[in-house]
Amino acid sequence: MNLIRGIKGTAQAYWITLRTMFRKPVTIQYPEQKRQPFPRYRARIVLTRDPDGGERCVACYLCSAACPVDCISMQAAEAKDGRRYAEWFRINFTRCIFCGLCTEACPTRAIQMTSDYEICNRDPLDLVYEKTDLLIDDTGKDPDYNFYRHAGIGVVNPRGGNEDEKPPADVRDLLP
Amino acid sequence: MPTLTIDNKSITVPDGTNVLEAAQRLGIVIPHFCYHEALGAVGACRLCAMMFEEGPVKGLQMACMVTAQDGMQISTLHPEAQELRSHVIEWMMLNHPHDCPVCDEGGECQLQDMTIAGGHGRRRYAGKKRTWINQDLGPFVVQEMNRCIQCYRCVRTYQDYCGGDDFGVMGSRNRLFFGRFQPGKLESPFSGNLVDVCPTGVFTDKTFRFKTRYWDIEEAPAVCPHCSLGCTVIPGARYRELQRVRAGVNRQTNGFFICDRSRFGYGYANHRERIRQPNCQGAATSWREALEHLKERLGKVVNEYGPLSVAIVGSPRSSLECQALLREWTREHGYRPPLFEIDNRRDRTARILAAGLGKQARSMAEIADSDCLVMLGSDPLNEAPLLALAIRQAVRNGCHVTCLDPRAVKLPCAASHLPVQPEQLLPAINGLVANRFEEFERQDQLFLEGAAERLGRAERPVLVGGGDLLGPEGTEALLKAARSLNAGLFVTLGGPNSYGGALLSEDGPDSEEMIEAALEGEIKALFCIEADPLTEGPARSARALGQLELLVVCDHMVNRTARSADIFLPTTAPPEAAGTYINNEGRMLPFGGAYAPGLPLRDIGEGGHPPRTFSNITTGGEPRPAWAILATLLQRPLDFDSIHHGLESDPHFAGLGLLSPGGEGRRVTDAGMLPPAAQPEFPHSAPEGSLPLLVVEALFGTEPLSSLSPALEPVIPEAAVQLHPTTAARLGISDGETVSLRTELEHLRLTARTEAEMVPGLLVAYRLRGTPLELLPVGKITPCLLEKGGNDA
Repeated sequence: MNLIRGIKGTAQAYWITLRTMFRKPVTIQYPEQKRQPFPRYRARIVLTRDPDGGERCVACYLCSAACPVDCISMQAAEAKDGRRYAEWFRINFTRCIFCGLCTEACPTRAIQMTSDYEICNRDPLDLVYEKTDLLIDDTGKDPDYNFYRHAGIGVVNPRGGNEDEKPPADVRDLLP
Repeated sequence: MPTLTIDNKSITVPDGTNVLEAAQRLGIVIPHFCYHEALGAVGACRLCAMMFEEGPVKGLQMACMVTAQDGMQISTLHPEAQELRSHVIEWMMLNHPHDCPVCDEGGECQLQDMTIAGGHGRRRYAGKKRTWINQDLGPFVVQEMNRCIQCYRCVRTYQDYCGGDDFGVMGSRNRLFFGRFQPGKLESPFSGNLVDVCPTGVFTDKTFRFKTRYWDIEEAPAVCPHCSLGCTVIPGARYRELQRVRAGVNRQTNGFFICDRSRFGYGYANHRERIRQPNCQGAATSWREALEHLKERLGKVVNEYGPLSVAIVGSPRSSLECQALLREWTREHGYRPPLFEIDNRRDRTARILAAGLGKQARSMAEIADSDCLVMLGSDPLNEAPLLALAIRQAVRNGCHVTCLDPRAVKLPCAASHLPVQPEQLLPAINGLVANRFEEFERQDQLFLEGAAERLGRAERPVLVGGGDLLGPEGTEALLKAARSLNAGLFVTLGGPNSYGGALLSEDGPDSEEMIEAALEGEIKALFCIEADPLTEGPARSARALGQLELLVVCDHMVNRTARSADIFLPTTAPPEAAGTYINNEGRMLPFGGAYAPGLPLRDIGEGGHPPRTFSNITTGGEPRPAWAILATLLQRPLDFDSIHHGLESDPHFAGLGLLSPGGEGRRVTDAGMLPPAAQPEFPHSAPEGSLPLLVVEALFGTEPLSSLSPALEPVIPEAAVQLHPTTAARLGISDGETVSLRTELEHLRLTARTEAEMVPGLLVAYRLRGTPLELLPVGKITPCLLEKGGNDA
C-alpha cells in the first residue's frame, strides 16, 4: 500500500506542475507592470476636501484615538470664521499598518485610504507625512458630503441656515 | 435612617437622602443631568426614572425627587423605566446639533455617554432643529447655545451656588436661553465653573479651545498653588504644555468648584521667559557643571567665613518635601536655620497660627455649615476666593455674616460690613471677647455689640481672619478670642504651603534677623529656593543682597532675584512634580505631578508642524523638582516616595503616608512653635500731610504665579488707588483722575477711584505685579503723599 501511495503522490505532483505550465501566469513584472487594485483597497492615507473646496478635516482627534499603532498626531486650531481645522497633521507611515480604523472613525469623511500602495523609502523620515503631503484637491469617496452643512454651528451657512435647522430663535419673543 | 431595596440590594441611608443618592451609594449607575451633589435635585431632566414597585411611593418616579423611605422596593432595570429613559434621551437629542467632532466637550460629554447608554442612535424626528445666536461671554467661557439640553445646572451654579447675578435663564418652553441679558464678560469670579457643570458643550473653556481631547490629556489630582486654601484641582497637559485646570472634588475644602484665578491662572508653567536650563553668571550650563560650580563656591565661602555665613530662604510655594529637606540640609552642614517666608509679617502670622490653632481649626466645609461668621480683616474674593463661596453657602443656610474691614469688602452674599481702620481691628477683636467697645464711635459700638451678641448665641460660630491685615498681633488676639469664645478659627495665609513652612520653621530666626545679619556682612552666601526676596522682602533686601558673595536661586519663574542670581537652577512648576502642601487650616494635601517638564511643542514648532528631527532628549526638560536638587546636594537617593514617607518621622506629619493625591487630606496632629520675640520697630515719622496707604491682594494680578498667565491679562485691574469720597473731596480729587502717589522709596502715577463703602482717611491699592506697587509690603501701612495730577513724575 505504501508503494502505491508513494507513486500516486509523486505522479500527482508532476501532473499539477505539467498542467500549470500551460496556464497564463498570475504574477506580473512589477515595477515595469503595475496592477490596479480594487477601489476599497487599503493603502496610502489622504486627507480630502469637501465639495466646496474647504478642508474636510476638523482635527477632532478621533482617527488618532482609533489608531492602534499611534501613528497619527495633530493639533486642532480655530480659523477666523470659526472653522475648526488641523494646524498640523502628521501620519507616520513607518508605523501605519493600513488597518483602516482611522477612516472608519472619521466623522467628516476627511481621512480616506487610497489604492496607492507604493510607499517604500530608504529614509524613514521621508515616510513621516505632514499635512501638505496628505491633503489632496479632491473629495474622494462620498463626493457630496460637507460636514459643516450638517453640523449646527454655522461655519459654511449662517447659524440656523442649514437644511434641517430653524432660523435662530428670539429670546425676547413672548409668543407661544 | 430608612432602609430601602434597589435592584434587590438593601441599603440604609441617612434621613433626607434621595433615592438617586441611595442608588449611587450602592454603586448603581443611573443616568442623570440636573442632579448634582452640590446643587441638589430639581427634577428637570426627567432622566433618572426608576420603578417604585413596593412601599409608600408607587409607580414610575424620578429618583432624585423622592426621599428615601422605609420599605421602598425599587427597580432601575424595569422595562418601563428603561423605555422612559431611552425616550427622554431621544427628546433631548431633538435639537442637539450634529457637531461632536468640533465640540470641545466631545469625549468627556455626559450627554454623549447618556445617549449611548440610552441606545439612541438615529434621529427619527423629521422636524427642524432649534438654533440660537451665541453671546460673547468674555475671555474665559465660550457659549454654544445650540447644544443646550435645559438641565438648569449652569443657572443653579452661577446664581444659587456662586451668587452671580448677571447670568440667568430667559425665554419659554423649548426656547430656553441660558446667558446674559446683554453679551459681555461674565462678572462672577467663579464663572469658569460653568465649564465643569455643563453636562454637554454649551459652556467650554475659551483658553482650552480646540487644544486637546480628554483622552490625550495628562492629568493628575493636584492642589491649587494660588492661595492658601488648598483647593483640589486637576491640571491637564499635552505636548508638555499645561493646557487647562479643572476642579477636583474635596468635600472638606473646595467642594466641587474652584475660582477663575485657579482655573485660568495656569499660564505661568508655559511662560515663554521661563528659564529651563541651569546657568552660572547668566551663561547656560549643564546640571553637572552647575552643581559642581555651586559646591566649589559654597565650599570657598564656608572655608573662609564658616557655615553660619550661609543662609537659606525657602518659600510658601515649595512643597513640604522640599521644605523638610531644606531644613535637613542646613542642620547637616550647620548653616543658618532656613526661613520659609521672606515677608516677615506673613512669616510670623503663619507661625503664630500654626502654634495656636489646635482644636479651633475649621475647614471650609465647616464654615459652610456655620451659623455665625465674623470676618476680621478678610476680603475673601480677593485673598482666597473659594472662602467667599463657603461663606455664601453658610448664608444660604441661615448664617449671619459680620465683616470688619477697612476695604469695601464685596461678598457674593448678604453681610453686614463695618468699615474700620486697620489699627482698629485689634481693639475690635479684644472687644468681641470682653463685649466692650469703648474705643469706637457710638454707632459702631452698637454694630459691634450686635456682632458680639450673635457670636455668643451661635452654636457653630467661626471667626474668619485675613492673615495679611491682621498680622502677627491680630492673629494672636484672634486665636485668644476664638479660644475664649469657643469659636472656630479660619485665617488665610500668604501661600499654598505657608502652614508647612511655619511648622518647619519652629522657633528659628525670622526674616528681620536674617536681613540684619546680611546687612552687617555676616551672611556671604544666600540660597533662595522658589523665593524672591527682592520683591517680597523688605526694601533693605536689595542692599543686603548686594553684599553677598554668592546668590543661588532655584525657581521656575523669572523674578527680580532670579535675574541677579550667580547660579540659577531651574525647578519644576507645581503641576510638574509631586509634593505636599499644608493649607491654612493645617490640612496635609499631597498632590501628584501631571506631566514631565519640557518646552511646549507649540513653542518649538517649525513650518506649522513639530520639528522633523528625533531625539531621546526632551527639549527644555532640564527643570528638576526642588526636593530633587536638595536631595542631590544631600547625597540622598532621588526617590520621592522615600522622602515623602520619611516625613512621617516628624510627629507633625503623622499619617501623611496614608494620604493619596486628590483625597480629603487630614489635619496635622501637632502644633508648631512660636517665633522668637519680634524686634521692636522703629517708630517711623510720617511726613506731614501723609496718608496711610494699605497695599492688599486682588483677585487677579497680585498672586505671583497666576499674574504671569496670559489668559488673565484681560481681567487684571488697573493700577489704581481707592479712597473714600470724603477723603477724595478733601484732597480735591475726583473719581478716575490721575494722581501722583509718593512713598519713601517709590513714586507712582495711579488712577484714583472713590469707594463709598471703605473707611475714610485710608488709601487702598492692589499690589499689582509688574508695577512698582509690587514692592510695597502687603497688609502693612505705608505712609504716602497723594497729590492731584502727577504730571511731574
